[in-house]
Amino acid sequence: MRKTVFYVPLAAFLLLSLFLLSGLFSDPRDHGSALLEKPLPAFSLPDLQQPNRQISAADFRGEVTLLNVWGVWCPTCNAELAFLTTLRQQGVRIVGLYYVQPVDAAFGEKFDLPTLQQQVRDKLAEQGDPYLFNVVDEQRSLIFDLGVTGAPETFVIDREGVIRHHHVGDINPQNWPQLQRIYQQLQQGADHVPTP
Amino acid sequence: MSRRLNVAAAVLCALLCAVLASPLGATEDLVQFESTEQQQLYRQLTAELRCPKCQNQNIADSNAVVAVDMRNKTLELVRQGQTHDQVIDFMKQRYGDFVHYQPPFQLSTIWLWLLPILAVLSLAFTVFRRSKSSQASEAPATETTGLDAELQAMIDAASAKSKE
Repeated sequence: MRKTVFYVPLAAFLLLSLFLLSGLFSDPRDHGSALLEKPLPAFSLPDLQQPNRQISAADFRGEVTLLNVWGVWCPTCNAELAFLTTLRQQGVRIVGLYYVQPVDAAFGEKFDLPTLQQQVRDKLAEQGDPYLFNVVDEQRSLIFDLGVTGAPETFVIDREGVIRHHHVGDINPQNWPQLQRIYQQLQQGADHVPTP
Repeated sequence: MSRRLNVAAAVLCALLCAVLASPLGATEDLVQFESTEQQQLYRQLTAELRCPKCQNQNIADSNAVVAVDMRNKTLELVRQGQTHDQVIDFMKQRYGDFVHYQPPFQLSTIWLWLLPILAVLSLAFTVFRRSKSSQASEAPATETTGLDAELQAMIDAASAKSKE
C-alpha cells in the first residue's frame, strides 16, 4: 500500500513530463489540413500572366502537382524559389497560387494587375521561375477554401485532383526527401502515402 | 520673428490634426446588422472562432489576414441567415477542428473530459484512504493507557516501598 502511494504520483509526474517534453519538439503551426484526401475545391481563377485564361480544378487532373502558395511580399517564399526552380528542372510539376495581400483603401492602395505582373516577372527573373503558371486569387477565395493560413504553403495534388499532402513552411533540401517520397509514390499511383 | 513662429506653429498644428484625424476615422469599421440577433450571433462567433495563424487569439482579437478574411466570411454567412452551427461547420471544413475553441467530443479528445474526472476521483480516494488509515493508527494509542496504568502501578509500588 505504502509503495503504491509512492509510485502513483511518480508515474503521473513522469507521464506529464513526457507529454510536456514532446510538446517541445512539436510545431505549433502544424495543425493538419481539413482538406486531406479531399478533391481540390471548385474554382475558376485567372492565370496571373495571361488573365484571359481561366484555370479550374480540371487543370490539375492527369499529373501529380505541387500547388505552392506564395507572394512577392513573403521573404520565406522568395528564399525557396531557387530550390523549387531546381526541382522544376528535375521534372517536378509546380503550379503557383499567388497570395494577394489585402489592399488598404485607407492608404490609397488598390489591386493593380499590371503592377503585380511586373513585380512577379522581376522576382522570378531574379530568383528563378519554378512555376508552370500562376493562379492569381485576388479575393483569396480559393486560398480560404484551401484553409491556407499564410505563405508559403504547399499542397501535393494527385492525378485525380485529390489533395494528398499539405506542407506548411518552405521546401528546402532538408525536408524535400520526405516530400519527394510522397510525390514519387503518387506518380506511381499509390493509394496510401507515408505520413512524415 | 515671433509672428513667424506663431504662423509656423499654427501650420504645424493644423498638419498634426489632419494626420491624426484621418487614420482614426478610417480604422473605425462599423458593421451594420439587420437585427440584434444577428449582431449577437456575429459577436459570439467571432469570439468562439480561433485564428489559425495566431497561437491563441480568437478572430475578433486578431488582425492577421486570415482572421480578417474569416471575420468577413462570418459576417457574410450571418447576413445570409445561417445558424451558429452552420457557420462553425463551414469554417471547420476549411480550417479543421483547430479553428473552434470548443473541441469535438470524439475518441482522440475524450481524455479532455476523462482526465479531470479521474484526477478528482483518485484524489477523493486517496483522501478517503488516508483518513481511514489515520483512524486505524489511533487505535494503538488506547493500548498505551494499559501501559500507563502498569507504569502507574509500578510507581505506586515503588513509592509504597520507599515509605516503609
